Amino acid sequence: MSSLSTHDAKPKHDLKIATHAIVCHESKLKGDITIGAHTIVHPRATIIAEAGPIIIGEFNIIEEQAHIINRLPPGADPSTQIVMEIGNGNVFEVDCLFESTKMGDQNVMEVKSHVGPGVEITSGCIIGAGCKLTGKEILPENTVVYGRNCARRIAMDKPPMQNLQIEFLTKTLVNYHHLKKPRSANS
Amino acid sequence: MAYLVRNDIVQYACTCGQLRPISFLYFCRHCLKLRCGYCVCHEVESHYCSNCLEILPSAEARLKKNRHVPKHIRKCQACFDCPNCLNTLAVRGTTVSVRDPEDPSKVNSQKKYYHACFFCRWTTRDVGLPDQAVQTVSANGWAQKNTSNLQRITVLLEHAKLLGMLERHEREQREKKFTTRFRRNFSHLPGLTAAHVRKRAGLPPELPAPSTIKVNLAEFQPAVAKDTVQELPSDIFTEELDISRVTTLAQRFAQPETQPENIEDLLPMYKHLSTKQSQRCRECEHNVSKPELNPSSIKFKIQQAAYFHVPEVRFVTIEPPIGGKPSEVVILFINPSQHPTTLSFITLQEAEDEMKQYHSEGSADTSVQQGEAPPSLSSLTKPVTVVEEQKPIDISLTGEVLLPAPDIEIILPPKDDAAEYDDSGETQQFHDDPKIVIHRRANKASLRFTVVPKTDFIGENCVIGFAFRYTYVNRISSPAISTSEQKPQKVQLCTRVFMNCGKILEGTQ
Repeated sequence: MSSLSTHDAKPKHDLKIATHAIVCHESKLKGDITIGAHTIVHPRATIIAEAGPIIIGEFNIIEEQAHIINRLPPGADPSTQIVMEIGNGNVFEVDCLFESTKMGDQNVMEVKSHVGPGVEITSGCIIGAGCKLTGKEILPENTVVYGRNCARRIAMDKPPMQNLQIEFLTKTLVNYHHLKKPRSANS
Repeated sequence: MAYLVRNDIVQYACTCGQLRPISFLYFCRHCLKLRCGYCVCHEVESHYCSNCLEILPSAEARLKKNRHVPKHIRKCQACFDCPNCLNTLAVRGTTVSVRDPEDPSKVNSQKKYYHACFFCRWTTRDVGLPDQAVQTVSANGWAQKNTSNLQRITVLLEHAKLLGMLERHEREQREKKFTTRFRRNFSHLPGLTAAHVRKRAGLPPELPAPSTIKVNLAEFQPAVAKDTVQELPSDIFTEELDISRVTTLAQRFAQPETQPENIEDLLPMYKHLSTKQSQRCRECEHNVSKPELNPSSIKFKIQQAAYFHVPEVRFVTIEPPIGGKPSEVVILFINPSQHPTTLSFITLQEAEDEMKQYHSEGSADTSVQQGEAPPSLSSLTKPVTVVEEQKPIDISLTGEVLLPAPDIEIILPPKDDAAEYDDSGETQQFHDDPKIVIHRRANKASLRFTVVPKTDFIGENCVIGFAFRYTYVNRISSPAISTSEQKPQKVQLCTRVFMNCGKILEGTQ
């Protein structure tokens, strides 16, 4: 769930990109964002840290038009800090919208899916294409949300890691896009 | 395009009285009448799998039926549906490392295949089905778990068939007079077995003797009612139900043989075959639509859609209909045919009277035509034509439309595909009344009508109806008519149209 950081209330506007991460220059990054190693951020992806820092782990793929927004809840005190944490090995497909504050590992947000602020995503979950989750809940592990009526089932395994795809993108994206320079997360 | 023609704003009255948008109607070029899906014969041309596009000719489907494999009829043997979300399953390959059975220190990598659903991510591994070594999985390994009812169903089917045979036998006994005559006709031909003779005469194959049928019937054991019913499991009231582990009704109905209750029991289902159908006019037995047999082809051998023959009617502009107040409506008429057509407008009442008159005349004509050899079927197998009575049209008119005088004729030039790219001005002169025809371009003309919505239907849709006559050039050269009459005949046809002008508003006086 949302964790409130107690130390300084002043928002930091700096971007930390770990080495081996590929962050395209055309992506829109605002606020205090930390991007882990081997994470790919495609051009035209949007990550906005409005309410507090966004910490993205390793081996994630954030595709074009994906929106990851750490939004201030309406009516909240602007000085409160809400940290959004995203684990490792997640895939944010084209035009998905992620507004929750917590995501575990190896999840897939399919095309045009939407996860609202109240939904905590654990691990191995798949939010199917076009599915909207806007209530307040904790999604159990390996949940698959699919279809027009957002039907659910629990899968046996987690979706496979996209290591080959990450490797491929690491090689090719460099050839066609300018990248944001990696900066150590400690500095 | 679908938006323009597939809605219910402009509806044509079919010959049978159904109201349909023009894209849902056929036009029989032999009867020169509109036909809808309800008044044509639907015939299955072929079965095919929509996933692998394998074609299963209906002869084979029939053969399988006769072999008592009812389970597999109309199902593809190679493709499967997801039992969870009912979409098509896809084959996925993985490499699995297997320890060599002879030398445990060696590890061999092996290609294995399993089925997965790309929509709900269900896999055959979820229910513990083993991976297959070959890509084209025959379902023999799966699915055959619970087939306890199969035997009983086969017995019942057999029984029903025997009953049918007995019935047919009795019927044939009654009609024996005719059948013997047929046989005699062919009996002089040498080398023909009895079965051949029956086939030639268009009769079904010979039945077994009634005595053997009766013996077989006697072997049948009817179902016995039981008093003992299986007890409910003891934990049914104590265990909390996990809804995510229970199948939905749709999932159960998709597997009628097993009807699994738990999601662990879901098994991949054979994919149902789709059919290609042809439509046949019930009156003259000519095809109005016949698809190409190849499943990957979306073309038709014959497609007599009304859209290609009957002038199309569309709204251009509507003044908001106000109860009791005349409002101007501009309607576009499009001639889709290769010949010029002449439009004139009559009221629905006039059209109905005309049709009744035509019907009483036509009934005499058709009886003559039926005497000729039917085009496609031999006289032996010719079924009785089922021509339904025309039904009254089920729509209430909530607006009056003031039509131009019936003697005013509007000429629509033929459709010219090249004209769409021709920007030069119109050269043809039609001497139209500018009060009626407000715009013309190529094979289209926009006409102005006046609609008076009725005051007592405020808030409802303003539905107007009228009929129009149009000339149709019949280019079909029937072989029965002598060759001297080869030139196309011009016929005047009439079609009734109903249009929805939108909600009637209240007048602001």
